[in-house]
Amino acid sequence: MKKKISIYHIVCAVILLIMVIICIYPIVWMFFGSMKDKAEFYTNIWGLPKQIHLDNYIAAWKNADLGRRFINSLIVTLGSMCIMIPVTSCAAYAVARLNFKGKNLIYMYLLLGIMIPAGVLGIPTFTVAMKMGLLNSHFGLMLIYAAQNIAMGMFIMRGFFISLPRELEEAAMIDGCSRFGCFVRIIVPLARAGVATQVIFNGLTIWNDYFMANIMITKDELRTLPLSIANFVGKHSTNYPELFAMLTMATIPVIIVFVLSQKSFIEGVAAGAVKG
Amino acid sequence: MRKKKIDAFPYLMCLAAVVLFTLFVVLPFAVGVYTSFFKWDGFSDMKFNGLKNYLYVFQDDIYWKAIKNTFVYAILVTVLKNVIAFFLASILVKNFFGRTFFRTAIYIPVTLSYIVIGILWVWIYNPTFGLLNSFLSAVGLDQLILGWLSDARVALFAIIAVDVWKWIGYHMVLYIAGLQAVPKDLYEAAEIDGAGPLAKLRYVTLPMINSTIVINVLMSITGAFVANYDIVYIMTDGGPYHSTEVSLTYIMKTAFTDYNFGKANAMSVILFLMVLVFGFIQLKFMSHEDVYD
Repeated sequence: MKKKISIYHIVCAVILLIMVIICIYPIVWMFFGSMKDKAEFYTNIWGLPKQIHLDNYIAAWKNADLGRRFINSLIVTLGSMCIMIPVTSCAAYAVARLNFKGKNLIYMYLLLGIMIPAGVLGIPTFTVAMKMGLLNSHFGLMLIYAAQNIAMGMFIMRGFFISLPRELEEAAMIDGCSRFGCFVRIIVPLARAGVATQVIFNGLTIWNDYFMANIMITKDELRTLPLSIANFVGKHSTNYPELFAMLTMATIPVIIVFVLSQKSFIEGVAAGAVKG
Repeated sequence: MRKKKIDAFPYLMCLAAVVLFTLFVVLPFAVGVYTSFFKWDGFSDMKFNGLKNYLYVFQDDIYWKAIKNTFVYAILVTVLKNVIAFFLASILVKNFFGRTFFRTAIYIPVTLSYIVIGILWVWIYNPTFGLLNSFLSAVGLDQLILGWLSDARVALFAIIAVDVWKWIGYHMVLYIAGLQAVPKDLYEAAEIDGAGPLAKLRYVTLPMINSTIVINVLMSITGAFVANYDIVYIMTDGGPYHSTEVSLTYIMKTAFTDYNFGKANAMSVILFLMVLVFGFIQLKFMSHEDVYD
């Protein structure tokens, strides 16, 4: 009996190890490749670099203007959050905790967003944004990301607001708080977990998005990281070590942030999806 | 008697969400449906041509190929992601040393963008210098060596494998959360009734994590229909010979290479109708919830 269990454990451990190697080795290999020179890149495919060439990093940073790309991606991602979170919180609060005529209608209307995915909206969004003069504008891209995530954000926030006890507002208002003040000072802080779930759920998607950004942005100086990486491949496709250095610089910050916050990150993802 | 004054506060709270949603989701959607009935290059004057765009779409052999590929992609990705993720989750749901490490490591590809992953795998699949072929030749499987992305017979499957690779960790985490919520005493009760591992899976685990399965399957299916542009574009852009063409890559080419916005929008509307049923199930699922009184 005991022996049988241990064989089972060994099999499980081997499967997990193989899985980890499959998941991690390509990324480690990208890191190795980024430090090889051109000749070694083609001859020493598997292993560690014999000599570390950090000049790939300097060249990639300069040629792709990576500093600006990071800033562009940060602006777009943070900007979208700054629009999306207040907007969905306010609406979700009204729908979850206030009584008014047409409330279910408004909620169902906004939830329809679940049925209209971004992939379907790509081409007409280009047309609408062009007519509004929002092409090649970070602000336009932020508005679009925010709008496309309203349904999901509303849904997540409403779930958190509904679970708070009803007496909260009454007590706050007796203390002389205005309704909006009470929402901002009492209710929102209690739904912190909902805000975190939204940030985790959407932040990475927006940071990594190519499809919508590619439709909206054509000016080089406005390009986000994914756009400029894709563009770099077209232009410098022969210099692989440099390309790999660029990929490494673009991915390492994300991986570090993820590994440091993995517990709350994974919980947030599970919470967002199970609620969704 | 004075008419009861309407309280504006709740409406003001909803205003921004409704305006934003209307302007950038509902309006583009309506524009998309409307322009699908016009001959239009996206910039100059539009000319009404009724259902002709839809007719062109259905007469287009490449479109049918793209649809077939999209379905193959969706079915394979959904089955593989869910089976592998469920299997890994059932190992990782137990508490043991190193559990967090395995979970974190398998999750890392989820955090990377399709663009980065795509470029990386194009190089892994490279026929001469790539990791995959050099691995195959190292273990003596030279007869399996292929131009993974240049061979029209396997290119689509090569991309599907990358998509599965990226998302396994995500679905695994959701399945772990689902499995953790199954009460332990149900398993004990089943054991007392003499249930073996398979019976426990069939009669306890699967029914108890029903909603997790629904969510995972919905996410993988809709993802394969409406969110696979980035990976296909960067790896093959639909080639060779349209063998990896999917709905989205063909829509983008029709709009921004051929400047046929009318036809591109007709294809977008058809794509919308194809995912409508999945969106509807998800909506039903979400609105079926406790109501605040």
